[in-house]
Amino acid sequence: MIKFEKKNLFYKIYAWLPILVLFISVFNEFDFNYLNIDYFSFNFPFILIFYFALKAYQRFDYLLVFLAGLFNDTVVGLPLGLSSLSYILICIFATYLRNITISPNLIKDWFYFLFIISLINSINFSVLFLFFSYELDITLFIVNNFFTFLFYIIFSIFFKRYLKSLND
Amino acid sequence: MASSRDDFIIAIRSAFLNKSTKQKFSLLTLFFFSIFIIVLSNLNFKAISLTKSIINEIVYRSSFIVSIPENFIKSTYLNLNEYTSFYKEYKITKEELDQLKSENISTSIIKSENEELKSLIDNYSFTSKKILAKVIVDHESPFLRSIIINKGSKEKIKIGTNIYDRSYLVGRVIEVNYTNSRVLLLTDLNSNIPVSITPGNVQAIVVGSGDKKGEIKYIKNDLINKIDNKGIAYTSGTGSIFKSGIPVGSVDLKNDNEKILINFYSDFTQLKYVFAEINELTPTPVEIEENDQTQVSSNTEQIKLDLISDELQILEDSNTKFLEENKELNTLTNELNKQIEMLKLENESQKSIIQKHSLDQKELEFLRLNLIYSSKCQSKKLFSTGFKVGTPEYKECIMRKGKISD
Repeated sequence: MIKFEKKNLFYKIYAWLPILVLFISVFNEFDFNYLNIDYFSFNFPFILIFYFALKAYQRFDYLLVFLAGLFNDTVVGLPLGLSSLSYILICIFATYLRNITISPNLIKDWFYFLFIISLINSINFSVLFLFFSYELDITLFIVNNFFTFLFYIIFSIFFKRYLKSLND
Repeated sequence: MASSRDDFIIAIRSAFLNKSTKQKFSLLTLFFFSIFIIVLSNLNFKAISLTKSIINEIVYRSSFIVSIPENFIKSTYLNLNEYTSFYKEYKITKEELDQLKSENISTSIIKSENEELKSLIDNYSFTSKKILAKVIVDHESPFLRSIIINKGSKEKIKIGTNIYDRSYLVGRVIEVNYTNSRVLLLTDLNSNIPVSITPGNVQAIVVGSGDKKGEIKYIKNDLINKIDNKGIAYTSGTGSIFKSGIPVGSVDLKNDNEKILINFYSDFTQLKYVFAEINELTPTPVEIEENDQTQVSSNTEQIKLDLISDELQILEDSNTKFLEENKELNTLTNELNKQIEMLKLENESQKSIIQKHSLDQKELEFLRLNLIYSSKCQSKKLFSTGFKVGTPEYKECIMRKGKISD
């Protein structure tokens, strides 16, 4: 298990890792959202934001999440502000879930996550199609939604281990 | 019931408004701020587009820097792959090069011919130069297919500038910043390319499928049979979105879903460097002369009028000359007609003389024969075998040299 001295530089970097990973994933050309495989894509930032907004919100700066959304829009070529809106909506729903949950349950979180990403992807699709006249393939959105939902469980295991190592 | 509703409201309020010590803004503020940005980015104000352009510049550069390690790994992997198939590729390339060299000569001839014809058509010729641009961001989204190149308005790139991979079309510029631009790839769902398909010269539109291939749409049903497998699709230039005659891809009829697909010549996932074609309208020498004239002479119209009036005067003079000549010729014709009449009369008199002369000849011949054969043709009192002198029968008998007819 990794152990750090608190206030150590490495500890600070390690504590900021989720935000760093988020920024790298929106800046980097290698995107989990597109792995160049037919009908396979998942939205990694959605999983990351939802998990950390739900479990480790003290270390998760929403302003940086908002900025990450802006950068994602610029890099991908979406209308500016759309990803920010999606990310902030995820944070809002995650915060709401945290507030109403007394005993956390991974499966419940998982299905709640499905509901949220479905809603947000629907909003994204509608905004792009109706207001910005983008030609979009709804199948890709559905596939993306499905795999993002599936991968939440896998990533949540890694994230849990990370949080545990951080708290220890 | 009332308490559960209160809990719900408290949870919502807490989610929207409460912020922990780390948070500088509440989620509600950021939520409204996002909507505000979406609305603002949709407006075409100069200040907004300038801000957007600055953000783009920073983000694209940052994205390029962040992607360096990944690009290094990717390029190392590709280089290793290249080395393994180096010799085989070298041989194929050599053959291709020889063929291309020969084709290049004929292409340059066609190009020069084309330039000449274009200049004849509209007095303007397009001078296009291709500038090399580096792909700085190739962030492949599942929904949008675009790349960022390191050339922008500084290098005269405009919205709509055609982008090539070698000589194959890969897309067009849709967003221009000062030092970089965004290129919409042909594979994007929003990309429509008017093409001609050979053989058959079938006109169609290729639409990006969001995948590696394009799909042929908007084609007449009766023309579908004209399309061959492996037919070549090149830009038709319709709508002036893309320049005409640029190779796009080959037709692929062998697919499961009975669609007519296009295999693009270029591999859009492997784009490192591309060419941006900068078009400039250059007036031809004739046009330049004309432009100079309009600039230099404000009296050009007057000069033109003077020239026209001079021309008119010359025409009038020549016209009167022609009229006089016509009169002279008329009189000459009359005189000649008279002469013809006189000659006719003369001819008639000569003819009569000749006729008379021939009669005289006949008479002489009769007299000569009469001296010889008169005894044979004259009637005798004892045997009435001849004819009486002076009668036509007697004359006929003399002319037949004394032979008396039955």
